[in-house]
Amino acid sequence: MLKKQTMKKQSLLSKAANPKYIMVYATIGIFLIIYLFGAVAYGSKGFTTLRTFVNMFIDNAYYGISAVGMTMVLITGGIDLSVGAVASLTGMFIAYGNTVLGLHPLVCILAAMVVGVGLGLLMGATIHYLNVPPFITTLTGMFLARGVCSLISRESINISHPMMDALAQWKVYFMHLKDGEWVKIKPICFINFNLLLFLIMIVVGIVLLQKTRFGRNVYAIGGNEQSAKLMGLPVAKTKILVYGFNGFCSVLAGVAYALYVKSGWNLALQGGELEVITCAVIGGTLLTGGVGYMIGTLFGVLLKSIIPALITFNGNLLSWWGKIATGALLLLFICIQRIVVTYTGKRKAKK
Amino acid sequence: MPQEAILEMKGIEIQFPGVKALDKVDFTLNKGEIHALLGENGAGKSTLIKCLTGVHHMDAGKILLDGEEIVPTSPQDAIKMGISTVFQEVNLCQNLSVAENIFVGRQPMKRHQIDWKELNRRAAALMSRFHLDIDVTRPLSYYSTAIQQMVSIARAVDIQAKILILDEPTSSLDENEVQLLFEVMRELKADGMGIIFITHFLDQVFAVSDRLTILRNGHLIGTFQASEISKLELVTQMIGKDMDVIFNLKRAEVADDAPYTLTASRIGAPGVISSVSLNLKKGELMGFAGLLGSGRTETAEMFFGIGHPTTGEITMDGQPVSFREPCDAIAKRIAFCPEDRKRDGIIGDLSIRENIMLAVQARKGFMHPMSHQEQSELAEKYIKLLGIATPNAEKKVGELSGGNQQKVILARWMATDPEVLILDEPTRGIDVGAKAEIQRLMLEMCGEGVSVIFISSELDEIIRCSNRIVVMRDREKVGEVDGESCTQQTILNIIAGGAKEGEEAV
Amino acid sequence: MKKKKFSLSDLMRSKITWAVIAELLILLVCFIIRPEFFSISYQPTTGMLYGSLIDILNRSAEITIIAMGMTLVIALGGTDLSVGALVAVSGAIALKFLRWDVSAYPTPGDYTIYPFVLVLLVPLAVCTLMGLFNGVMIANVGMQPIIATLILMVAGRGVAQILTNGKQFTTLYTPFRFIGQGSLFCLPMPIVISAIVVAAVALFTRKTAFGTMVESVGINPSASRLSGINAKAVILIVFALTGLLSGIAGLIYSSRIMSNDSNNAGLNYEMDAILAVVIGGTNMSGGKFSLAGTVIGSIIIRTIVTFVYYFGIVSEATMAFKALIIAVVIVLQSEPAREWFAKRAKNRQDRMSAAVKGDA
Repeated sequence: MLKKQTMKKQSLLSKAANPKYIMVYATIGIFLIIYLFGAVAYGSKGFTTLRTFVNMFIDNAYYGISAVGMTMVLITGGIDLSVGAVASLTGMFIAYGNTVLGLHPLVCILAAMVVGVGLGLLMGATIHYLNVPPFITTLTGMFLARGVCSLISRESINISHPMMDALAQWKVYFMHLKDGEWVKIKPICFINFNLLLFLIMIVVGIVLLQKTRFGRNVYAIGGNEQSAKLMGLPVAKTKILVYGFNGFCSVLAGVAYALYVKSGWNLALQGGELEVITCAVIGGTLLTGGVGYMIGTLFGVLLKSIIPALITFNGNLLSWWGKIATGALLLLFICIQRIVVTYTGKRKAKK
Repeated sequence: MPQEAILEMKGIEIQFPGVKALDKVDFTLNKGEIHALLGENGAGKSTLIKCLTGVHHMDAGKILLDGEEIVPTSPQDAIKMGISTVFQEVNLCQNLSVAENIFVGRQPMKRHQIDWKELNRRAAALMSRFHLDIDVTRPLSYYSTAIQQMVSIARAVDIQAKILILDEPTSSLDENEVQLLFEVMRELKADGMGIIFITHFLDQVFAVSDRLTILRNGHLIGTFQASEISKLELVTQMIGKDMDVIFNLKRAEVADDAPYTLTASRIGAPGVISSVSLNLKKGELMGFAGLLGSGRTETAEMFFGIGHPTTGEITMDGQPVSFREPCDAIAKRIAFCPEDRKRDGIIGDLSIRENIMLAVQARKGFMHPMSHQEQSELAEKYIKLLGIATPNAEKKVGELSGGNQQKVILARWMATDPEVLILDEPTRGIDVGAKAEIQRLMLEMCGEGVSVIFISSELDEIIRCSNRIVVMRDREKVGEVDGESCTQQTILNIIAGGAKEGEEAV
Repeated sequence: MKKKKFSLSDLMRSKITWAVIAELLILLVCFIIRPEFFSISYQPTTGMLYGSLIDILNRSAEITIIAMGMTLVIALGGTDLSVGALVAVSGAIALKFLRWDVSAYPTPGDYTIYPFVLVLLVPLAVCTLMGLFNGVMIANVGMQPIIATLILMVAGRGVAQILTNGKQFTTLYTPFRFIGQGSLFCLPMPIVISAIVVAAVALFTRKTAFGTMVESVGINPSASRLSGINAKAVILIVFALTGLLSGIAGLIYSSRIMSNDSNNAGLNYEMDAILAVVIGGTNMSGGKFSLAGTVIGSIIIRTIVTFVYYFGIVSEATMAFKALIIAVVIVLQSEPAREWFAKRAKNRQDRMSAAVKGDA
């Protein structure tokens, strides 16, 4: 009995110390360090307020939504370069469909969904059955989606529809009890539709990855596709579905972006795929596949968005420093990953 | 035990472009039986297995499982029918936990969600059945190859297989682990499972199998009771010619006053090896014996710039040397055939010609290229000399059999005209005929004045070929014996730590 | 030496075959629609040849040059995402040296502040160093190439912006114009430069053993190291070379526009270069590479773009067209498709030889 108890205690402790979580800890740790730095340097300017924190999410929610699907693709050992273009295409669908053709936005979104998910499934099938590298396949997908964007229109089109406006305006304010009455906290701070969508997608991602066989198959394929095949897992189905799901996420990201800028533009989110991949990588997802967590990606999005926030608060720095800082962050992160990998490797050698 | 057949394969024929891989092969596996499948490389063992697991399509014949005809179309299909396979390489996912590796694809579910608690509990129970008390929530990569191999067997067993195929499962295990595996195999056998066991270690065949089937060149040679066939007879059946080749090897002759080419005095590195001293004479063949992980390979790697001694000194021809990278060692005319042929030896997509000339070219530097003519001549010379079976020098090395790949690597090093040649398990996983040839080549090179370090897990061949044998245990050199006068038992005793050097055991 | 027997099925299995067929098909379509697509004229005033074909070669120069390096990178089993950013860096530095103190010399003109040698050498040196940085990250730190180069891809344009303080300079300096707009032997300079680069890289890889070593490291790094190949040095050289070539491409690009454009210079060049290599038949997982194939790949990409411009299809739709044609090439080149064609070709050959035998 006693023995059993100690075992349980140990297993709890060892569960937390499991080397597979190290990267997530690193992401959270680095975020906290940078946040603390911001708090010390710009605390007086309001860096530590809840509003700043929540706004960091809101300004990058569309990247976050897409990063959910991207994380999953990266875990299988693949990559998807088409996400920015597909999101942009979604915006074009909504803008052109609603403003020019007079269709209801929901219809437009549905059409974009069919196209986006369809393209994802098609790319997944090409990657799996024709053995074309994901990089090349999805690059072609990106060119295709961008090209179609430009075919639809070469100019930015405004979106104004009651439903879209309502969604864009929709807010839940943070409240607190004051003198027995609920009042908005100051400075005013709220959750909007995009942020809600992002958080929902993160939860969906967690459930898919951790609670379903599908999700575990995703990890297995990323770990070793050949083995997964020999273990009798449905490799083809899983891979194709992952790209399909990523297409779905891209379309949702496109909707979120359309709500954010209230327009559709054929060149919107150019290079967005890299931002999304960066979020996932600094969130601890390995580009070699097999390793990655949605929680990590959540913090990856935060980590990426804290840099522009800091630059804004500084006020003197040119915005290009943001790019360089992101590059430096990537560098830092990858170095940590290297150290972790060598460290666990050494541990194993010693055993 | 009742002789009830669980699997019958009748008149199996498989045609590959140009060759008949299997020609009317019959194979019967009984319930509760361990059945060894033997043959040289290319004899058709793996083709037969691949046919059974649905990788290859058979051109004629039929497979009966429990008396019913089956046509497996893919490994998944075979698994569903109850035929599971454990391969030589661990075919699991390193990133998943031990528990998940066992259950992935068929996790226990609770309210449409994976029941992790139940999954880990079941996995722990299963592993304890294999006498392994490990934390099943750790990633597989955390554990040694032996444990990983056990996990893959656990997975195969747990899917309620009727037939378990073990394809060279022991080549990366040490003696204790092999015994553990055998224990598990016997337990499974007692449960009525049919086990097909493929191995190159003949001792193991006799230790655990009930019956054995021998294939040669795609033909069935026969099925025998393990207790009724001698080892010599078995080998003769497998290679189809007399064993004289193997048993008539002449040890290298080393003059007493031959100079030392390579010496090491008390070299060591923390956690790798500690304080190993040895001296190698010109034209001598020195064997390294010891269990896997005893430090044999690690010691050899110190002489090739892969590992780096932090203490002690290595000298060559009397001069102290230190190697930062393999290329430094090659410049000093040391050559090294690594243990893992696929990972560290061959460049699969390059031709035989390019593989052979690689080390010579690397030593020259890329600015001093060899002409195509020179390369071809070099390749042709060694193809002839080593008897590499290939239509021409332009064939990709990856398409050759294991024995021929080993010969190509040997050729690569012979072409560099080495002073010291280190061979780490050069005969592992290759068939008996090729084995004998490689041993012959090794000794021939000694005759030409090359000093050879020969690492092997098979004591037989070490004793047969070596002038002196260094015995290692737990990362230390624990003895050095004369090759001519020692017996297997002497070495085993030293490894076991019982008897001292030179003592004869009972 | 024995000559290899010609076999249709081998030809069908070769990826370059399909690249050449694709290029010829596109050109055939051009020819059918407008035969004058192929006309080449000589302009005595500029001493240059003109025509769509010349234009294709001219405009594909940057990608061809970069793709030479990319071929080696991919043969090593890697990818270099930073080339586009390096193009921007190269242009930014060149213009910086041409117009160093803009406040003192506010109007652009036919002058250079620093010696022209520096204008050329400094960008190339910096780009080579940045390439070397990629190489160090990969060879010495042990990162995956795609991530290591992602760092400079993200940060590189930032560096270019900071170097020029976020400003766009223009110049009218004639020698600088010559790089991108001049001509030699009646051919536009970019064609001449790219031809020189292709020849140099081909000589460097195939007339020395460097090419074989790159392939060897790409196929099996560990075995290559144990065979005495200095894999780290090979990786460093390849990435530094790719950096240098991106720098050259950057000079050509900025000379064409006589300005620097940190946002758009070299945009998506990494994608185009990788595509060119893959269409040219080099496998993305590394190993055997073909420089000739890459040149064809680069020309195919440009032919598509020119085709679209020439026939007045909305220029922004180029991408969609590019995607469609590339998709076709990729599908034709994919393993299953090639196997299928090879099998068919073999069957036909077998049938034919059987028929011949029957006749005899």
